[in-house]
Amino acid sequence: MFKTYPLVIIFLFLCLKSISQEDKQKFKDAFKASLVTVTDFSYEFKGDKMQKSEIILKPKFTYRINNISKLVFIGQVYSELNDNLEPGKSKDHTVSKWSRRLFIGDRTNLELRELYYQTKIGGNFRIMLGKQQIVWGETDGLKLLDVVNPQNFREFILDGFEDSRIPLWSLKSEFDLDDIAVQLVWIPDNTYHIIPNFDAPYFTSSLFPKPPEGVSTIFGQVDRPTRFLKDSDAGIKLSTFRSGWDISINYFYYYEDLPAFYNRLDLGSPSGPSLIIEPEYERQHLIGGTFNKVLGSSTLRGEIAYVFDQNFITTDPNIYNGIVTSHVYKSAFGIDYIKGEHIISAQLFSNIISDRISVYNRDRFETNTSLKLSRDMMNDNLTADILWIQNYNHGDGYVRPQLSYWINSSVQLLLESTIFYGNTNQLFGQFQDRNRVSIGMKWGI
Amino acid sequence: MKTYKIISLAVLTIMVTIGTNAQNLPSGQSIAKKTHERNEGISMKRKLTMELKDKRGKIRIRETISLRKYYGKEKRLAIFYETPRSVQGTAFLTFDYPEPSVDDDQWLYMPALRKTRRISAANRGDYFLGTDLTYEDIKLETRISLDDYNYKTLGKETIEGQACFIVEGTPVSEEIAKELGYGKVKFWVDAKIWMLRKAESWDVAKNHLKTIQIKDVKEVQGIWTYHKIVVKNHKTGHETIFLNSDIDYKTNISDDTFTKESLINGL
Repeated sequence: MFKTYPLVIIFLFLCLKSISQEDKQKFKDAFKASLVTVTDFSYEFKGDKMQKSEIILKPKFTYRINNISKLVFIGQVYSELNDNLEPGKSKDHTVSKWSRRLFIGDRTNLELRELYYQTKIGGNFRIMLGKQQIVWGETDGLKLLDVVNPQNFREFILDGFEDSRIPLWSLKSEFDLDDIAVQLVWIPDNTYHIIPNFDAPYFTSSLFPKPPEGVSTIFGQVDRPTRFLKDSDAGIKLSTFRSGWDISINYFYYYEDLPAFYNRLDLGSPSGPSLIIEPEYERQHLIGGTFNKVLGSSTLRGEIAYVFDQNFITTDPNIYNGIVTSHVYKSAFGIDYIKGEHIISAQLFSNIISDRISVYNRDRFETNTSLKLSRDMMNDNLTADILWIQNYNHGDGYVRPQLSYWINSSVQLLLESTIFYGNTNQLFGQFQDRNRVSIGMKWGI
Repeated sequence: MKTYKIISLAVLTIMVTIGTNAQNLPSGQSIAKKTHERNEGISMKRKLTMELKDKRGKIRIRETISLRKYYGKEKRLAIFYETPRSVQGTAFLTFDYPEPSVDDDQWLYMPALRKTRRISAANRGDYFLGTDLTYEDIKLETRISLDDYNYKTLGKETIEGQACFIVEGTPVSEEIAKELGYGKVKFWVDAKIWMLRKAESWDVAKNHLKTIQIKDVKEVQGIWTYHKIVVKNHKTGHETIFLNSDIDYKTNISDDTFTKESLINGL
């Protein structure tokens, strides 16, 4: 972590030094700087307290080297005034040392969000090299193919993916073969999901079985892959546009961003019986694809993923290490209907475990739906929308109404509320004590 | 008696003159065709600034880079938002097909989601990204539709020192009127360079809806080019000013500019 920042500063300094010899006007034309400031405050009903009080500064610098090359830097200063979402200084154990945040006290951290070089070689070959976000897929709200970058779950899935997605040091190259666009990605950055601690408001307790009465839980240190080449992730995406159909086929070889939680009951410990959980990252293959097609005023879109050998915590007492594997089929089909300033967007998510295995806290066939209604008003000055996500197997979900208003060209006000409901042992229902109302402001210069 | 003769002669003369003028006026359809024959170059790069002003005078400004290229009769247009910072990176791509029966293809890249959304082009009467022009207006720019209206040439008038034909259009069907959001339109088309100089439109219920003025028209690299469009929406009191600058018809625009990948990667 401490090595990365001086290197970045030296790199930027060298860039500035080299361009300072250029003509001043040329530099002015090529260099662009901007800053977005975000403040976001959430009040939690049940706890009668502030759940979140964030102030975020996001400077962005772009230097256009020539007609085909540019260098992009996006940094972030993140401050959470009441130190609630990630209490204390996060050690970022699941993050590679090249991507870790630099904590200043418990409440503030600095993060290099993105730093990449983009260029074109020979007219048809484009590369982006550096720390970046690579996004696949067509769905909103829940992810199927959008697994290239891991995520910070400090706010479960309430934070915008742009902010919660963790950018990775990677190489993205693109070229065209006739009318097929080929994208190759190589990711040597061994960074995985950041999962909140036990004491954080969005600790995902539904992932782990509760130990029997009188049995303590001991969490082992996660063993993160560290080999530069052997532990890299790699993927390919082929996409085309034919007869009005947007189609892509994706393949990704990767470590699942959530470790397999191997667990066993230790009855012989001198300190009493305990459930020992030893997380370990496991390799996976994913093959999938997307499509979309416009039909009149509607757009149909879909996403399919088949994951080989996904790990699950089992309820079968005969499995010694508590983990079973199965292939998993995932699909999402959606429709967006636009009429004037109104948008209706509905999605159906299916998740099917192919083998007959006993999995903790989920069914073999799981179905989620989402519905989003949105309306722009006053020439897009004011937008009102409501998002509803529901799991049909367990009856839990959440509803999120939101209002956003542009005060002027640069300042946007946001007002929203989040209401979770359902069984407290389920993915969404577990956060029903976290229901909140939020007010925020985004200011860009 | 003599007076009557003089009056009758005068009325006859006026009627003959009007009749002759009406016969001399080109048909609305031929004027519409002329606007499509105007040279627009093969490709064009420009800075497009949109000033959105509400009825209370609040102004929002969006600066974009717009790139356009013809592939035969098919037109491809990409718009990349540069400022304000909060919408920077938003990009819009459209494939505009010459066949009227084929809907255009449109994509919108939203940087907050880092995803490109396919947008239906069937709703061509919808307003374009918060402005007072519809998707159809943006597509036509300063041309007038060949297929959507029955035209009648009303006469000639001078707009900003230029002689213009006045053409009235009524939608060919109620369905088209609803699609476009216009129940009647009136166009002032420059009689020399065949560019739209002014337009008035009425909604389906025949209420006065919009006034569009095309200003600051001059030649750039030998091609007649407008530099300013002012659109006033009389129903909402909202106004949009489109300002074009740094226009370049000779720039070499790579074909891969008009792809989904390019929307994501930006300029």
